[in-house]
Amino acid sequence: MSTRPTIYKGKTGQWAFVLHRISGFLILMFILLHIIDISTINFPSVYASIHRLYGNVFMRTFEVGLLFGLTYHALNGLRVIMIDFFPGVIKNEKRLFVAMFSLSLLLTVVGGVIILKPFFTGRV
Amino acid sequence: MALRERSFPSQRRNSTTMKRSKANFETWSWFFMRISGLILFFLALIHFSITHIFNDVTTTTVAFVAKRWANPLWRVFDWLLLALGLMHGSNGLRFIMDDYIRTPRRRAFAKAFMYSLSAALFVVGTITIVTYKGTL
Ligand code: HEM
Repeated sequence: MSTRPTIYKGKTGQWAFVLHRISGFLILMFILLHIIDISTINFPSVYASIHRLYGNVFMRTFEVGLLFGLTYHALNGLRVIMIDFFPGVIKNEKRLFVAMFSLSLLLTVVGGVIILKPFFTGRV
Repeated sequence: MALRERSFPSQRRNSTTMKRSKANFETWSWFFMRISGLILFFLALIHFSITHIFNDVTTTTVAFVAKRWANPLWRVFDWLLLALGLMHGSNGLRFIMDDYIRTPRRRAFAKAFMYSLSAALFVVGTITIVTYKGTL
């Protein structure tokens, strides 16, 4: 591997890159499980007993985590794409990272309230 | 992922064609990650919103799926998400394996395992979406 610095190996993008990598990996692990749980659709009672679990508070918390991973990965993915295709964007990559990170946090908080609330109020 | 300049012994010995074909594959892979990412941006976020935000997750029952899949366009939507998600994700995992698994044998083993698992789940997912004959 060359040691020449690239936009991915520099200082500022390093956290963005690490988070992108971890979130991408975790989403993939979830997709693998999710394909299996949906494939039980032909055995309705199995499907129902698996999907009841999604409603408990631990799984709901996990779903909020998934929301953060997904929104961060999606928005930061857009940032990477913009940097690659529009050369001028690199000048603002740090500010863009802060913007994307904050937006994904905001979406996670709003979505998190919607996801967790039914567990506590009992109303769906 | 940083595009690495790898050089294999066979390439050093041989003509430039092998080097070029490797570079071509990585270039396509780079391009694919960006195009599939743009499409997944819409597919994945719409999918999550439907199953967790606009509906509570406890209401995504068999009947819920049967109703959605009564419309073939939703099957196409879900199949695209399955196919692109698996390809984008497993190609991403290939980058990760290239970076952290240092010995060629382990790397080959890990990739073979990962490709087989993704292919198997692609088949399972496709069969689920295409053959489902749910009644409401
Ligand atoms: C939602 C929209 C998405 C966008 C815009 C997006 C965008 C991207 C981009 C541009 C890359 C390449 C990064 C680079 O070359 O440095 C990437 C890598 C990756 N993506 Fe996504 N992606 C999305 C969804 C997903 C999903 C659903 C998964 C899981 C199945 C996933 C898993 C990965 C993985 C594992 C990597 C490799 C990370 C690395 O090399 O560090 N992505 N994504």
